[in-house]
Amino acid sequence: MMSPKNFCTGLFYGNDSWKNYWEGSLKRDNQNIGTLTTQNITWMGVYGVNSKVSVLAMLPYVWTKASGGTLHGMQGLQDLTVGAKYNFLKKDIGSDQLNFYALGLFSMPVTNYTPDFLPLSIGLGSKNLSARFTSSYRLKKVWKFSASGAYTYRSNITLDRPSYYTNGQLYFTNEVQMFNLFDYVVRAGYHKSNWHAEVFYVQQNTLGGSDIRRQDMPFASNQMNFSKAGVSLLLDVPHVKNLTARCWSSYTLAGRNVGQSFSVMAGLMYNIPFSQSQQ
Amino acid sequence: MKAFKYITLTTVALLLAVVSCNKEITYTEGLFPLQPANIDANAGTWKPVAVTSYTKYSASVPTPADTSTAAYKTELATIKNLQSALTKDQQNAIAYWSDGGVLRWNQIFRELVARYNLPPAPLSNGSYIFPDVNNPFADPQFPFANPPYAARAYSYVSAAVYDALKAAWYYKYQFNRPSPYLVDKNVKSLMPKINLPSYPSEEAVMSGAAQTILQAMFPAAADEILTKAGQQRSAALLSGRASVSDISAGLALGKAVAADYIARAGSDGMGTAVGTKPQWDALADSAKLHWSKLSTPVAANDVITWLSLDAPSRPPMLPFFGTKTTTGLGVKGWMMANADFVKERPGPPPIATQDQMKQQLAEVKYYSQNLTREREAIVLKWADGAGTITPPGHWNQIAEWYIRDANFSEVRAARAFALINMALHDAAVGCWETKYYYYNPRPTQLDASIKTGTGIPNFPSYTSGHSTFSAAAATVLSYLFPAHADYFNAQAQEASLSRLYGAIHYRVDIESGFDHGQRIGGYTVNFAMTDGAN
Repeated sequence: MMSPKNFCTGLFYGNDSWKNYWEGSLKRDNQNIGTLTTQNITWMGVYGVNSKVSVLAMLPYVWTKASGGTLHGMQGLQDLTVGAKYNFLKKDIGSDQLNFYALGLFSMPVTNYTPDFLPLSIGLGSKNLSARFTSSYRLKKVWKFSASGAYTYRSNITLDRPSYYTNGQLYFTNEVQMFNLFDYVVRAGYHKSNWHAEVFYVQQNTLGGSDIRRQDMPFASNQMNFSKAGVSLLLDVPHVKNLTARCWSSYTLAGRNVGQSFSVMAGLMYNIPFSQSQQ
Repeated sequence: MKAFKYITLTTVALLLAVVSCNKEITYTEGLFPLQPANIDANAGTWKPVAVTSYTKYSASVPTPADTSTAAYKTELATIKNLQSALTKDQQNAIAYWSDGGVLRWNQIFRELVARYNLPPAPLSNGSYIFPDVNNPFADPQFPFANPPYAARAYSYVSAAVYDALKAAWYYKYQFNRPSPYLVDKNVKSLMPKINLPSYPSEEAVMSGAAQTILQAMFPAAADEILTKAGQQRSAALLSGRASVSDISAGLALGKAVAADYIARAGSDGMGTAVGTKPQWDALADSAKLHWSKLSTPVAANDVITWLSLDAPSRPPMLPFFGTKTTTGLGVKGWMMANADFVKERPGPPPIATQDQMKQQLAEVKYYSQNLTREREAIVLKWADGAGTITPPGHWNQIAEWYIRDANFSEVRAARAFALINMALHDAAVGCWETKYYYYNPRPTQLDASIKTGTGIPNFPSYTSGHSTFSAAAATVLSYLFPAHADYFNAQAQEASLSRLYGAIHYRVDIESGFDHGQRIGGYTVNFAMTDGAN
């Protein structure tokens, strides 16, 4: 958890690219896309309200590019996320510690980008509300294991066109039903006072939606599922007080209607203590 | 632990709120039970489109039994028996088909087009195989319902249903047999009451015509087409609108009319519209020859011919769909003879090396680099590319709302869709003829830095299909609904410009295509003005 009355803020750069994708369950490439690269610069801020509650916000600027074909990339501010994390149970077990957290997030687009130009759209356009529960166990002070699961409700979206075909039928409307999401994450890490390293595994499923049809373009409400494995590193920058470097990297192991992406994200967070009692 | 309880309760409440939110959306257009403003009793005298006469089908529509006969009374008993135990599905089917069979079939075939409008995927060696009518479930599926294919399919089913319904009207007023619910007051009327003679049943006629054409055009969907058609006939029976003999005569008549359309389709030139590699190469060469014969001739070396920008390079889309008087290939028009297509073909665009074309290219590049959100919305609204109902389908969707609101009788609704779709088909033939006559390259072929806001269709640039389709459809719609002509025209203009905003067409493609489409639509309007329906 964030220390109380501390505000931690920073910028991250992310790069996600794929050449192969799953058209339903069929893995393939597409020369009219080549390699699809999505980059972002994301602002993040976290504030510790007290020892149990912190609030956070996040806003990425995203730009996409396809190395093949003729379609132009897109760019813009994507979705603003705000949320709160609550450490509702903390229990010491000898020198170990068990924690439970609840995390609620809300996100919505801050610009009127189109979700109807996949895979080059910068986002899917829905408003999302998610609830996540995390349990975390600290073993012998340095080892940390956690598991979390989240359910995400997604609002319907509207397109600029009056009809579309998905789920095996033609819809005569511009409104698209966005199915909800479920995901779980497991992590294992080694934590020292000034650095930590973790490995993680994520599985996310869309609870509905159809496959990309043969040689069709992807569609916003497709059933997009994936599992990813990755590593995450955190390091207090030496000789610079309150500055922390973080990076993540992940690779898609399996998926459905998504690209097999390799992604990295790295950035710096600066901690501003508002309370004299905390350093 | 108090906090724990609090957060748990809050979360449960939140999740319940989330789960109870209904996100289901209504996916059909809002239709309502059809009560025609006028039953068009004289439709049996309206001019046929492609059949020689309505009387030639008399064998399908024998003189019916009188309503006082025992045979007919048995038919009434059957209906009453069925009506006493209607299932929910049967009630839903009656409600669905009450909204107008012509409107419903139009929705059904738009859905088929969207489902089958997917190009073949490339093989690992970079080549493509063509969809095979004899193997429709394969990969690639048959058909690839691209815009010309769709335009032709829409026109065949619409025109066949229209001719079949006029034939039905002819026999209805010859025999004047009332609907079962009028003969026996114990037969319930579960569809809107229309005082139209019921022999032969108009539902059965259109179901027979539509199923016959659609099965031929979309063979892989034959089973569900038959199911829909059967459902329409049983809705007519269960609703008390038609008896078994009304329906069997209607089905026979609809199939007989459609058989004549199928015979036409078998020899209308579609079978050779794909062509072969040597034929495609010869087309590009003959395009150069056309340029050299212009009043200001262009040397063959100065002509840059179209190349596929798909990766891997894809064979041109239906190069022999347009009528080719020189090769004898090409698809027949409805309202235009082969010579008409040649006569109406737009003059040439500026050639790629001329300053005028460089200006055109610069304008495309400007739009490519300045795709505002407003223009992007227009591009996406009208993209109608792979996996959609195509531009002809989009114009059917626009037409549907006006036809619905006009409360047209089934036969007049069929006329409206037939006129629109025949004009759209002729627009496809004329536009494809023009495209492969000049074989002009897309902007991105001349300047690879031009990135596009929508996929580049796999055929030559000049003229714009969207412009030709939209102008032709708007011309016919403006004739049918003159009060809304400005709206149709504005929509057609917007559809046309969307292709410039998307950076896949030059302005000259759009302006020439639009003008061409209006002239093509004019042929259909000329037919409509003298078809006896006014």
